[in-house]
Amino acid sequence: MVELRENEAKTLLALKEAGGRLNVSEIAKKGGLAHAAIMRAALSLKSKDLIKITERKIRKVSLNDEGRTYADVGLPERRLVDALARMGGEAGLDEALKAASLEKGLSAIALGWLSRKGWGRIEKKNRVVRLLKEPSEGADEQLLRLLKSKGTMNVESLADEMKDAVKLLKGRKLIEVHEETQRELELTNEGWELVKKGIRITTEVSQVTPELLVTGKWREVKLRRYNIKAAVAPIWPGKKHPYLRFLDELKQKLIALGFKEMAGPIVELSFFNCDGLYMPQDHPAREVHDMYFIKEPEYGDLDRYKEFLENVRETHENGWKTGSKGWRYSFSSLEAARLMLRSQTTAASVRMLISEELEIPGKYFAIARCFRPDVIDKTHLTEFNQVEGIILGEDLGLKDLLGVLKRFAIEVAGADKVKYRPDYFPFTEPSVELVAYKKGYGWMEFGGSGIFRPEVTLPLGIKVPVLAWGLGVDRLFMMKMGIEDIRYLFSYDLDWIRRVEVV
Amino acid sequence: MPTVELNREDLESLLGMHLPEDVEELNEILAYVKGEVKGLDYEEIRIELKDSNRADIWSVEGLARALRGFLGLEEGLKEYRVAGSSGVEVYVNPRLKDIRPYIGCAVVKDVKLTDAAIRQIMRFQDKMDQTYGRNRRRTSIGLYEFDLVKPPLHFTVAKPKEISFVPLEFDEELTLEEILEKHPKGRDYGHIVRQFPVWPIFMDSENHVLSFPPIINSNDLGRITEKTRNVLIEVTGTSYETVLDTLINVTVALADRGGAIYSAEIHYPYLGMADDVTPNLDVDTIILDVSYVQRFIGLKLKASEIIPLLEKARYGIAESSETRIVVQVPCYRVDVLHPIDVVEDIAIAYDYNRIPDEWPQLATVGKISDETIFRDYIREIMVGLGFQEVLTYIMSNPETLFAKMNLKPSRVVELANPKITSMTCLRNWLLPSLMELLSHNVHVDYPQRIFEVGYCVVHDEKRENKTRDIEKLACVNIHSNANFTEAKAQLDALLSNLGVKYDLEETRHESFIEGRAGKIMLGKKEAGIIGEIHPQVLQNWELENPASAFEISIDQLRQHKYGR
Repeated sequence: MVELRENEAKTLLALKEAGGRLNVSEIAKKGGLAHAAIMRAALSLKSKDLIKITERKIRKVSLNDEGRTYADVGLPERRLVDALARMGGEAGLDEALKAASLEKGLSAIALGWLSRKGWGRIEKKNRVVRLLKEPSEGADEQLLRLLKSKGTMNVESLADEMKDAVKLLKGRKLIEVHEETQRELELTNEGWELVKKGIRITTEVSQVTPELLVTGKWREVKLRRYNIKAAVAPIWPGKKHPYLRFLDELKQKLIALGFKEMAGPIVELSFFNCDGLYMPQDHPAREVHDMYFIKEPEYGDLDRYKEFLENVRETHENGWKTGSKGWRYSFSSLEAARLMLRSQTTAASVRMLISEELEIPGKYFAIARCFRPDVIDKTHLTEFNQVEGIILGEDLGLKDLLGVLKRFAIEVAGADKVKYRPDYFPFTEPSVELVAYKKGYGWMEFGGSGIFRPEVTLPLGIKVPVLAWGLGVDRLFMMKMGIEDIRYLFSYDLDWIRRVEVV
Repeated sequence: MPTVELNREDLESLLGMHLPEDVEELNEILAYVKGEVKGLDYEEIRIELKDSNRADIWSVEGLARALRGFLGLEEGLKEYRVAGSSGVEVYVNPRLKDIRPYIGCAVVKDVKLTDAAIRQIMRFQDKMDQTYGRNRRRTSIGLYEFDLVKPPLHFTVAKPKEISFVPLEFDEELTLEEILEKHPKGRDYGHIVRQFPVWPIFMDSENHVLSFPPIINSNDLGRITEKTRNVLIEVTGTSYETVLDTLINVTVALADRGGAIYSAEIHYPYLGMADDVTPNLDVDTIILDVSYVQRFIGLKLKASEIIPLLEKARYGIAESSETRIVVQVPCYRVDVLHPIDVVEDIAIAYDYNRIPDEWPQLATVGKISDETIFRDYIREIMVGLGFQEVLTYIMSNPETLFAKMNLKPSRVVELANPKITSMTCLRNWLLPSLMELLSHNVHVDYPQRIFEVGYCVVHDEKRENKTRDIEKLACVNIHSNANFTEAKAQLDALLSNLGVKYDLEETRHESFIEGRAGKIMLGKKEAGIIGEIHPQVLQNWELENPASAFEISIDQLRQHKYGR
């Protein structure tokens, strides 16, 4: 059974009625369908071998503006003939033209065609014009009249003399002739067989409506088949930002490994960002090239931390009770109160170490925005996120730190194998750089870590080893996303954010 | 972290072996000293050294010394001895006390200097001055042709116009003041002395100028060449310890080129400050408990296993038992402050990769903070409402925060040292960040609906850091039919899903259309704002579609909901 859509059935029926052959515009007229809808139906019927489509070029003729005027008032030569007839068949040239009341510029045309058509003669010597016969309506005049009433006519359907008139009037630029392609549909033998069996037309519906459902009419209609492969307009779902989603997932992994989330402020006291981490006050990394300072007020308040501040001061100056030589310079408590933008998440770790909520053993992590005065380019941001954490417990050592790093590399980054390299941070000793190998990416630096120096932990009242680690999350994310420009992390490109894949 | 440039041939001859051509293989070796190749050409190697305290390896001589231990070419303590007194005495002027009080000197005799060696010494001197010497403020180094100098020497002061001499690289005499103006080094470092009425000067007994510390040496006496056999080293500075540490490192580097070290005597005029004989090349000792090493590395290493590792790292052993090792720390290891520094060297010599890694078995419970949990509820609802989450910078500028938002400027947290003109302060509200993002996306499909949960920072005198971070939510709808009603419906949906009741109070806010803006009230407290964006603001951001938005404090929402 051949499956027919509503418009296809209507087209076949129209063809049957017309004896098997009809052109598209006639079907359109009869069936009340749009031309385009019939063409779609016709192409589909053709693909089922039910009809043939033949194309024919036809010429169509219609009046232009000037032709329309002449159709109303008559050709100039006709108007001149009529005037001459009224004047008795002969008149002075000027008088005749005047009597015909021809518009300026038409006199020459009227005179020219008068003699060409053999309707009259002009005697130039004595400027007299004489009528030779009272002409009946010519083919050209007939055509003008017909076109006036019909608008457009098919050239091929005209009698031969009218076809000549088309040429004539086209030459006088009174009509327009243009070509059109006409498609004719014809039933094939299969088509005839089908229509003879009888076709029932069911209404086709594209959108199921509440009305159809409520009234039960959906049973009587046919739901149109769609081309399910046709392209559709895009929609953009609400989504999390890809980098934040990545950090969310990282957070989940860290929670699963037993870490608690910690935090700290964006505007930080130098004490937490530097001094508490045993960074001497004249350390080059504490200069304006490496940290943002607050314009006003310049200093915060360390009153709450007097005891810790005193321990830290002594540690910097002489090592205090830590067993260290200390940095051996004169420590400024004011400098420790200087306000700055947090430059490393480690500041949050220092706050955690002196927090009353600190638990030993304990594991803590923070994801925090950090700031450094770098010029923004492909590999640098001046504002970025860091993920860092600490692990406290009796008897923790380098082997535990390496174990933590390995687990991160494998569980967080999906690395295949790891390597450890000696590293340096002012606040950790020993310090380790984690280098991880991932198939398809090769070896890459993955994070830094170490055991907090005694000069860091003891002044803060911590007597157990503290493992500290930081992960190069930016690089991990870029690797995952296949991006090489770090600026994409804070991209203003909404199109990219919308298109980037969730997984 | 410092980067040093070395001549490959020079390094290889000091090492006594050829180095691999392959960068990765070279990095494996340099890992012992926390180094990484940053550049490599025919004869020069550029190495980044991560440790910003190990000044001893910033010289090619020191680097070779350290690597020889790890490579097994020469292990144990490298001891340097003072061969005798050079007879040089240095008299310090008391007026230097508040300017540049300390000096150390040494003489290295019979040193063989090739052109490459001189270049390396100059680079080392430069690196020390910049990094360890904090751009010559803390210390600076001078090297002189010892045979031309007539001791005793005077570290004294002069008025800016009082003395003139020919500085290095010049051929005319300049006064000290002229040097600060005309000499490139004077322009670079003049700020260190300019504030003082008199400036440091280093002269010999015949009033020949050796140098104008820390600015520039004399072209006559302060220049060493391939012909120089005997070198006078001087270090001046503001930190006694650093002056002596720096002197040691320059002295031993020159001694590694075959020279013998002679001391100088410094006569200080300051109250309570004894005369000094420099350099002091004594080894320091650190007592290391074997259990301490075992605990921090996590390996049950015996003393007999630790000792060879110490020797690889070029420490000496004064005495040892099964439980205790008395470690000799070479004079040049100025970075060793604490036994833990020695433990790290043991671990490096052992090789980190040979230590069995072990996930610590600690009974801890993971926990997401309450703030994160609450923030994630909000993000989930916003995504459900069809908003795309965005991420923008906390740093901003007054133009973005106020002018473009049709507002008069108000007080924000400003940076003392902004680096980029578009980032001079911290944002006090979130909406401008979103407007800025939208302004970059006028050719992207509309409708656009975006939100961000982000921090804003405001002044708060009562807090220890004088500021308060406020976590906020802001969202914007922008499309041809965007209006107040849409935003209000979204706010309703958000807050009812959070179980929070709110009121709107009509308000006048220049960023929004009058009569289409309201304060979001939680009880009696204002927690945010909602409205249709003012056409002037849209125009300021070159946006061609209407927009509606709201911004609300998540901290206040949380407090309202949970009372904390």
